[in-house]
Amino acid sequence: MHSLIQLSIVVLLLPLLSFVILIFFNRRLPRRGDFIGVGILGTAFGISAYIFWSVIVQTYDPAFRVAWDFTWIDLGNVPGVGPLQIRMGVVIDNLTSIMLAMVTLISLLVHLYSTGYMAGDKNYGRYFAFLGIFTFSMLGIVLSDNLFSIYIFWELVGLSSYLLIGFFFEKDSAADAQKKAFLANRVGDIGMWLGILILYSQFHTFSFEQIYANLAAGKFALSNGWLTAAGILLFMGCVGKSAQFPLHIWLPDAMEGPTPVSALIHAATMVAAGVYFVARIFVMLTPDALHVIAFVGACTAFMAATIAITQNDIKRVLAYSTVSQLGYMVLGLGVGAYSASLFHLVTHAFFKACLFLGSGAIIHAMHHEQDMRWMGALWKKMPWTFATFTLATLALAGLPLTSGFMSKDAILAGAIGFAQVEGGGIYYLIPALGFFSAMLTAFYMGRQIWLVFFGQSRTHLKPADNHHQAHHAHDSHAAHGDAHHGAHEVHEVSWNMRAPLVILAALSVFAVYSPDPLDGAKGWFMKMIPTPATVVGEANPQIGARVAGSVAPQLAGVVRTTEVASVPVVAEHGVPAAGHGESKAGHVYSDPRQAEMVHAGHAAHFTAIYISSIMVLIGICMAFVVYVFKIIDPEKTANAIRPLYLFSLNKWYWDEIYEATFIKGSMVLARMLSWFDTNIVDGIVNGVATLVRKFAFANDSFDRHVVDGMVNFTAFTVNTTGAVLRKLQTGKVQTYVVMLMLVLFGYFVFYFTRLIY
Amino acid sequence: MEQLTTIGLNHYLTLSAILLGFGLFAVMTRKNAIVVLMGVELILNAANINFLAFSKYNGGMEGVMFALFVIVIAAAEAAIALAIVINIFKIFKSVDVSSIDSMKE
Repeated sequence: MHSLIQLSIVVLLLPLLSFVILIFFNRRLPRRGDFIGVGILGTAFGISAYIFWSVIVQTYDPAFRVAWDFTWIDLGNVPGVGPLQIRMGVVIDNLTSIMLAMVTLISLLVHLYSTGYMAGDKNYGRYFAFLGIFTFSMLGIVLSDNLFSIYIFWELVGLSSYLLIGFFFEKDSAADAQKKAFLANRVGDIGMWLGILILYSQFHTFSFEQIYANLAAGKFALSNGWLTAAGILLFMGCVGKSAQFPLHIWLPDAMEGPTPVSALIHAATMVAAGVYFVARIFVMLTPDALHVIAFVGACTAFMAATIAITQNDIKRVLAYSTVSQLGYMVLGLGVGAYSASLFHLVTHAFFKACLFLGSGAIIHAMHHEQDMRWMGALWKKMPWTFATFTLATLALAGLPLTSGFMSKDAILAGAIGFAQVEGGGIYYLIPALGFFSAMLTAFYMGRQIWLVFFGQSRTHLKPADNHHQAHHAHDSHAAHGDAHHGAHEVHEVSWNMRAPLVILAALSVFAVYSPDPLDGAKGWFMKMIPTPATVVGEANPQIGARVAGSVAPQLAGVVRTTEVASVPVVAEHGVPAAGHGESKAGHVYSDPRQAEMVHAGHAAHFTAIYISSIMVLIGICMAFVVYVFKIIDPEKTANAIRPLYLFSLNKWYWDEIYEATFIKGSMVLARMLSWFDTNIVDGIVNGVATLVRKFAFANDSFDRHVVDGMVNFTAFTVNTTGAVLRKLQTGKVQTYVVMLMLVLFGYFVFYFTRLIY
Repeated sequence: MEQLTTIGLNHYLTLSAILLGFGLFAVMTRKNAIVVLMGVELILNAANINFLAFSKYNGGMEGVMFALFVIVIAAAEAAIALAIVINIFKIFKSVDVSSIDSMKE
């Protein structure tokens, strides 16, 4: 076993150890054992950092990969399935080592931050235990080398997410939110499982490596439509977990959980697991599946951005922003901008975790006030939070010199390239939605910054009764309830909450990832995570032929025209390709369509930068115009376009739509089934029972009278006969002799009577 | 008159029947086990007379041989039966057959 594998297994198991210790012994430990959680995560991060160092910095090879697996369950020869072995394994490549370091780092920072944020909570120890099991499950997803184990850990993160969203389970809203999250995820996970089964039915293996090898060898016996279906079904797992349209509804509600949890799970890691998973299966996605993914991502990005601009809850704005950014990542994968998408995943993880932790600091300082309308003028009181929050906001909005700028523009460039290769038309909708969402992002983040940190303090404007309710909601912080809202002393948070903010903000600067602030492709990240060659494209003659022949004739036309050109194109653009990475120089894609897209994405790089910078500037200017200079009054505007405003404020009415369709529908169905159950099924059961009873009574009386009668009669007869015959047995020899004589005499009488007649 | 003066088969058979009647009477009515045994002997001897009478008037020796066997068996029977009676006496302190009824019911 490779030493890195051994270390990664240690990293995987450490948070589990933390969970086990804390869940059982937190009440017996000093400080409820929080130092154990922080210490163990510190160790795990240290080891992950070493793995990161040796893989990314020392080895520096885009193709680096070590794997190890073992047979976990051997079910032998299962009837109808064949030999069934479930293997578990660990794979470490560049992506894994980056994700390992990212997850453990953010988890460590969130642990540290929580020691401040959650201090005094009555379930303080259990909180850290839950963080431990979450980290364990997340690392499991990252390290898994097969679909089966990834599915197990997938469900485990779902469970930890459920536990942590409902951490304040005394609140009804938190309990509802956790159920909603769990159910929405179930919908996606069913799809994912079906996708896994489609692949398993063909290849009898769960391993990514073997599935791709089989696909590349053209061993997929079903039609290409099934492969597309498998891709889309697997993507459904991502739709649930990464809160993509139409299952995005749970993520904003998940903000009922403690804010550090929102940062760790619902911004940085778990929701990104969906994107990570799609990246893992990227090479087996057919062009059709990728189109679906791209459109879903674009819709999600746009929809969530439009909702975010009207939300008043500081965390909900960030939640919708997260949905929107996840939409970007999914869009990026859909358009084939694999590296850019994963790059965005990592940069987003850091700056969004920073934003959430910053908002947590604000909420903590404001004594659990979450409504931005009652904030304002906090920058002087909370300079550290303000600085880091602003830096992260710039990264999120995508201003130059930040990490978010590089990654988002790489995705948008990929989207433009995709639209060009696909031949325009409807496909330009994807980059268009992306750019428009970028503008909206800048706008709503500008609005948020202004409402929270600038202007006049509006704490006293809050309606009193509303305020009271808010305090009631936080029983654990009832100690604050006695203070009057106007008299709240807003203060900067302590060091253990500030340090994570600073570290995360520092990781939102471009220099961490790339020497060129305008081009992320020049940085180590995108060199280390090259787009893998697809195994189902044109390169695969069997499936490629089917694509060209049956599924997408118009696409095939595009591909054929580019086919001729693509080989020289790749060779020609060996120059930019080489410029993008010395070690992967001449990374030639065997699939011309994919090569064309990667090339077009690179070519569109500067176009994307210009357009997105302009859009972001427009967005920021709009925010300034509306909220800083107050040239346009937001309330009047809102009234002027009231239907649109309400449409956004009510989150596109998705909750209502689901309420009216699925929830009402299932209620009606349930009622129908209930009626069917009480009247028909119960009727049948009761009828049968009555019949059985009647029959039983009849049977009983037959038994009692006829059968028993026969038995008793026999007994009676025997008894009577016995009583008579008993008299004959006197025991005296002479009686017997007399009887003998009588019988003999009788015989003679009988015999001679016969003789005579 | 010849019937009365000349002894023929019927006389033997009549004597035998009378003897059998006495024997049966003794067996059925006497209380003493010894007397019952004596009745049995009478029955056996009644049979013997029959055997010999039929043998004489039939002309073969089978009846004689049978009578000899019966005498031998009667001797053996008497020995065994007396032994039984002695044992009965030891157990019941009596040879009254009407009082020996422990086989009842």
